[in-house]
Amino acid sequence: MGSYDNERPPQKNLFDEIDPQWAWSQWSPSGDDPWNRQRAAHLHRRAGFGASKADLDNSVAKGFEATIEQFFAAPPENDPLMRESEQLARTIVAARDPKQLASWWLRWMRFAPRPLIEKMTLFWHGHFATSADKVPDCELMYQQNQLLRNHALGDFAKLAHGIAKDPAMLLYLDSAYNRKAHPNENFARELVELFCMGEGNYTEKDVQELARCFTGWEIRRNRFRFNPYQHDDGLKSIFGSNAIRSGEEAIDLVLQQPAVPRFLVAKLFKFFVADEPAPPPELLEPLTKRLIDDRLNVKGVVEQIIMSRLMFDPRIIGRKIRSPIELAIGTLKALEATTNFRFLADSIQLLGQNVFYPPSVKGWDGGRAWINSSTMVGRANLVYALMQNEATRFAGGSLEDWARKQGASDVASFIDVVVSQCMAVAPPNAGLENILRQAKDWRGNAAWTKIIGVLAALPEMQLG
Amino acid sequence: MMNEENFRRLSRFAIDRRTFIQGSCGLTALGAASSLHGSWLASTASKSTSNRILIVIQLTGGNDGLNTVIPYRNELYRKARPKLGIPEADVLKVDDELGFHPSCRGLADLMEAGQLAVVHGVGYPFPNRSHFESMDIWHTCYRKDARVREGWLGRFMAQHRNLADDDAMGLHFGREDQPLALASKNLQVPSIAAIEQFRLRIADETSISEAMQPVQEAENREDQNDLVAFVQAGSSAAWNAGKRIQQVLQSNQELPPFPATQLGEKLSVVARLITASLNTRIYYVTLDGFDTHALQPAAHASLLRQWSEALASFMKYLDVQGRTDDVLVFTFSEFGRRVAENASDGTDHGAAAPVFIAGGSARNGFLGSHPSLDDLDDGDLKFQFDFRQIYATFIEHWFGVEGDEILGAKFEPSPFLNLIPA
Repeated sequence: MGSYDNERPPQKNLFDEIDPQWAWSQWSPSGDDPWNRQRAAHLHRRAGFGASKADLDNSVAKGFEATIEQFFAAPPENDPLMRESEQLARTIVAARDPKQLASWWLRWMRFAPRPLIEKMTLFWHGHFATSADKVPDCELMYQQNQLLRNHALGDFAKLAHGIAKDPAMLLYLDSAYNRKAHPNENFARELVELFCMGEGNYTEKDVQELARCFTGWEIRRNRFRFNPYQHDDGLKSIFGSNAIRSGEEAIDLVLQQPAVPRFLVAKLFKFFVADEPAPPPELLEPLTKRLIDDRLNVKGVVEQIIMSRLMFDPRIIGRKIRSPIELAIGTLKALEATTNFRFLADSIQLLGQNVFYPPSVKGWDGGRAWINSSTMVGRANLVYALMQNEATRFAGGSLEDWARKQGASDVASFIDVVVSQCMAVAPPNAGLENILRQAKDWRGNAAWTKIIGVLAALPEMQLG
Repeated sequence: MMNEENFRRLSRFAIDRRTFIQGSCGLTALGAASSLHGSWLASTASKSTSNRILIVIQLTGGNDGLNTVIPYRNELYRKARPKLGIPEADVLKVDDELGFHPSCRGLADLMEAGQLAVVHGVGYPFPNRSHFESMDIWHTCYRKDARVREGWLGRFMAQHRNLADDDAMGLHFGREDQPLALASKNLQVPSIAAIEQFRLRIADETSISEAMQPVQEAENREDQNDLVAFVQAGSSAAWNAGKRIQQVLQSNQELPPFPATQLGEKLSVVARLITASLNTRIYYVTLDGFDTHALQPAAHASLLRQWSEALASFMKYLDVQGRTDDVLVFTFSEFGRRVAENASDGTDHGAAAPVFIAGGSARNGFLGSHPSLDDLDDGDLKFQFDFRQIYATFIEHWFGVEGDEILGAKFEPSPFLNLIPA
């Protein structure tokens, strides 16, 4: 190795010293390590989009296991909120404005009774990223979104097969036509590189042979169609097997590769547990085994991660950088607020994330990539603008009303309320005292709004 | 799969440190070149480099190099591109063999003006055809298994941050994530999505901005996880860069006449900052959309037009301001495309492609020979220059500093600047 590498100090990896068996066994609250509001808030941030104080008190009263059960329960039947949301989505699809679709989903993340399903749908949206910038067809984007939602906590094989024939995806990957004389490699490459295995687990030859399997797969009039005249029906040689002809067989073969569960587990770990450092393979081994035992159904492994001892280890709290969506929806939920979601969808784009508009087929990198000097200012501006927006209501009233209900009588107690409701990690006292000194004479709604804006500029506000 | 060591070793352009030292006594071909370059460093690093600026334009998605610099008389080109080939009559001919895509009038003009170097066949050994992996390789100079999360420019800027005085050493313009090329553990480069976005809105209305600074810099955060420190550094960089850029732009209100395109607007801001004497040394902009798997002709033509017009306007403006000798504009893409077109009127991911260097110090013309169309590497053009040779030229000859550590090995600079003896 070159001199550059030799000069690096060895990196300490938090996860190197953690026993995998300990990590993934179920956490149980105890006298020293009780199920309290702080732990409940952590759970709601990771498995959902945050919670209000009332939600947290409710979860604490209900107990750890019952709270987890609620996260994983099937959506309530005939839920009026859900019916209303689906009705709204249909109206938007009819109006054909994908930007409205984005505001619809953000609103649903705020109100959905099963936030984990939305969180996982967002995970798959980043995984099978498709942008309305290139596919500005509301109906197709919504259809894909429903596909992701239906399998969000289910069978990955079904999801992969579904996405392979999903019109929005194939249009996005320029794969609406695929003729046998010149196979289009794009979908085949993303299938192994980004969707199932990760780079380094296949050869160029595998990609080329896979591409032959998908010839004749077409999108016509917004529907998937198999065109036998354009399908190369010869045998293909992929991953050492010579018995594959069809695209469906090819996907099944890909899904049997040992890289698949490893790849998915590593992504789920990053999404739910910690952006960094990357864990050693041994730590993920029990999860990979679970996913294999469950035949790539992700529900069990997600549950194991979320209920684990490692998840509730104090070192894990605040070890993620909140995505712009987590920041915005989390703040609204913490303040029991609703807002103009179209405004939110338009503004959040500037921070590097908007649903239905991922930046590339790779989705969002997340972690440190969320933060740069421009997005740092932008984050504070977004939260401040949400507070100021005239459509924003806090438990139905003004921010001042809400503050009063929380028992915040002055600036100091209001800062306490916001810090404990909105942040995973408290900022240093010196900084808070500074804000307090500046703000001590502020009064009324404008004061509360500004204080939240200032607090949103703090590094701690960005952690989840 | 290629591992990192092979990546380094197999590049015939990487000069082993030991060979380099022996070479300067033994006068092997490489040694001769290197010792020459060593004396050059000693003589020029001091004064003439002090105003120099590098602008990087990243064409994201894999630009079709073969339809940008076109071997218009080559029968193999016609054969590989029955539908996508550019008719000879439309090509902007530079010589008897090569010409530019008809959308690249700006490039042709720059070459006419003596301000454009085109380096043929730039790539690296064992090309990776994944956008993200290949882009990471160009950004970090390492392959994935080396797990390097710092970029070549990030390492350069962190080592030489004094070159920018108190200004930001680098700036990135765009809404996309910050390119890994700029990443460094020790220095954060501000990303600017939109100039207006750089102002904290709360700060307009109150004296709160004074309260913010000490909050940002408050101590006692050391015992917490390093994400906090990272985010904190990001906010401080935002404060400082934001303030300074506002000042500079206020002092230079004149809007240069640039095309009203995304890239045109970004370069227009860069031009204003440069002429207002911001000391920033690296500016980074991107233009996305080059992944033309289907219906390539119209999309590619419009992207090339956007790039070439913006670049030409930028150089023209600097010319008027008398600053062309201080600036180089480097354009690259993560890979070229397959030589053969596909069935969707597009092209798939390929390998080697040309890079472009504009500026008063660019050695005008083509460097190297156009890659052969009958000696392909799995359907792709072979590379003849390693991209790290291009970087070595920027670091060592443009900025006049040591490049080995930044690039991970010693690379023989490629002579696309007229500062370097041919």
